[in-house]
Amino acid sequence: MAPSVKSKLRRGAVGSRIGFFGRLRAAAGHHSHTFQDSLLRLCKEPLQTLMTTTAIAIALSLPATLFVTVDNARQFESSFESFSQITAYVENDASARQIANIENQLEAMTEVASVVYISPDQALQEFIQGSGFGSALEHLAANPLPPVFIIEPKEKSPAEAGQAQQLVSKINKVAQIEDAQIDMLWLQRLRSLTQMGQKIVLALGAALGLGVLVIIGNSIRLAIHNRREEIIVVKLVGGTDAYVRRPFLYSGLLMGLLGALGASFILVIGFWWLGGSVVQISELYNSQYRLQGPGFQGCLTLVAIGSGLGLSGSWLAVGRHLKDIKPR
Amino acid sequence: MIHFDNLSKRYPGGFEALKGINLHVDAGELAFLTGHSGAGKSSLLKLLMLLERPSSGALLINGKNINRLADNKIPSYRRQLGVVFQDHQLLMDRSVFDNVALPLQVAGQPRKEIGRRVRAALDGVGLLSKEKHSPMMLSGGEQQRVGIARAVVHKPRILLADEPTGNLDPALSAEIMALFRRFQDVGVTVLIASHDIDLINRMNCRIIRLEQGMVADDGGAYGPVS
Repeated sequence: MAPSVKSKLRRGAVGSRIGFFGRLRAAAGHHSHTFQDSLLRLCKEPLQTLMTTTAIAIALSLPATLFVTVDNARQFESSFESFSQITAYVENDASARQIANIENQLEAMTEVASVVYISPDQALQEFIQGSGFGSALEHLAANPLPPVFIIEPKEKSPAEAGQAQQLVSKINKVAQIEDAQIDMLWLQRLRSLTQMGQKIVLALGAALGLGVLVIIGNSIRLAIHNRREEIIVVKLVGGTDAYVRRPFLYSGLLMGLLGALGASFILVIGFWWLGGSVVQISELYNSQYRLQGPGFQGCLTLVAIGSGLGLSGSWLAVGRHLKDIKPR
Repeated sequence: MIHFDNLSKRYPGGFEALKGINLHVDAGELAFLTGHSGAGKSSLLKLLMLLERPSSGALLINGKNINRLADNKIPSYRRQLGVVFQDHQLLMDRSVFDNVALPLQVAGQPRKEIGRRVRAALDGVGLLSKEKHSPMMLSGGEQQRVGIARAVVHKPRILLADEPTGNLDPALSAEIMALFRRFQDVGVTVLIASHDIDLINRMNCRIIRLEQGMVADDGGAYGPVS
């Protein structure tokens, strides 16, 4: 090698050396450039993008709707926990002394938290006020309502239904108690229904999540096919696999993100639309219950899940299909 | 700079494209690789680009045996090369500037540096005024010059060209060859595969003739292949 050539080569090599921060800046620049490019490509094919994101949005909104519904049911259920009380009906002909005796017996039970006595007169008054049948009831010759004890057990959670049931049978054995009831069976039913709902959410979520992976994987496969030439040239001039992969990963991420935003939109609109009817129904039942939509946090979670699925879907597709493209 | 040591390439199916090639190309040398089609020119260039791996023998670049280079080291190896293709491999959906910038972008060069170097490379091939054009709007000779600008924009130490004048008329071919000569002048090792005998004879350079996968001739000018 001639000295003059050597010195020229050395100068060339020094000229191409870049500092660490320069590289970092260039990498950041490349990322933002690739991101913009991926976004632009999605905008250039609006129909294709719309179809893909709609498919993703629908696939995501189904399990998400079910999830929010089950969540609502669970909130409804927990709002009834404090109502799990035992109602004990005393025989109509019990005397005041007998009633006081029963009250003492009930209060002496270790499982009992509190006992409230409602006399037939009190009950009638409440019924007249609450039911709207006031004028009809005035025509009754005698008060048909029995004396009632409202017993609150110490253990109130629906999970401890067994204990509550034991308490009920214990109260039933007290003399002159006609019947003791616990209004918890329907709560237990609701509880097992929501548990089943949660399982369905999981199964449906897994199945449709897989669907989203397939949808995104397929569009990425097409995109890779369309940009085959470019991939070959980039590889020929020394582009790393990471460099080649990047635009497709951004595309997948963006598709997942847009799909999840679409799903959030569907959810918010859907629950808002349904919310009005629920208010009407619960007002008819004298309830304060209101339907809860997905909320900001729910939408944010959905968007995170969608983006994650988009990224993993494109990752899988890119890993699978880029290997097939070898520069000639 | 480039050293082939008893290099052979056998393709699956038994076809032997290269049989025991021994060659040495010095740094700063300009050499032509010629021979009939199928003689092994393209196979030799493919091995140099690491598009394929040799079946046996050693390929040393700058004293380093690149046969044993791991797959993940291939990109950084290719960045030391500049390659000009017969079909120039330009991306038609990008501007001339973006095409030439590609080797610098994949190497992670800062944007300012890219702009400076791309313009210098385009200036070198006389196409600075067309940086915003699409390659589709250019003539065949201009497209090939864009390809050359892309091959040299990152200041490679080795420049490979596969039939760079394949589709060009003699005047344009001579122009392209003059460009290669200029890169040789600044110390780049240039290896050009071509079967344009008249043209390479006029260049007065080393000519390596391959025949059936073997080196048949290695020296100065020679007459038309009989």
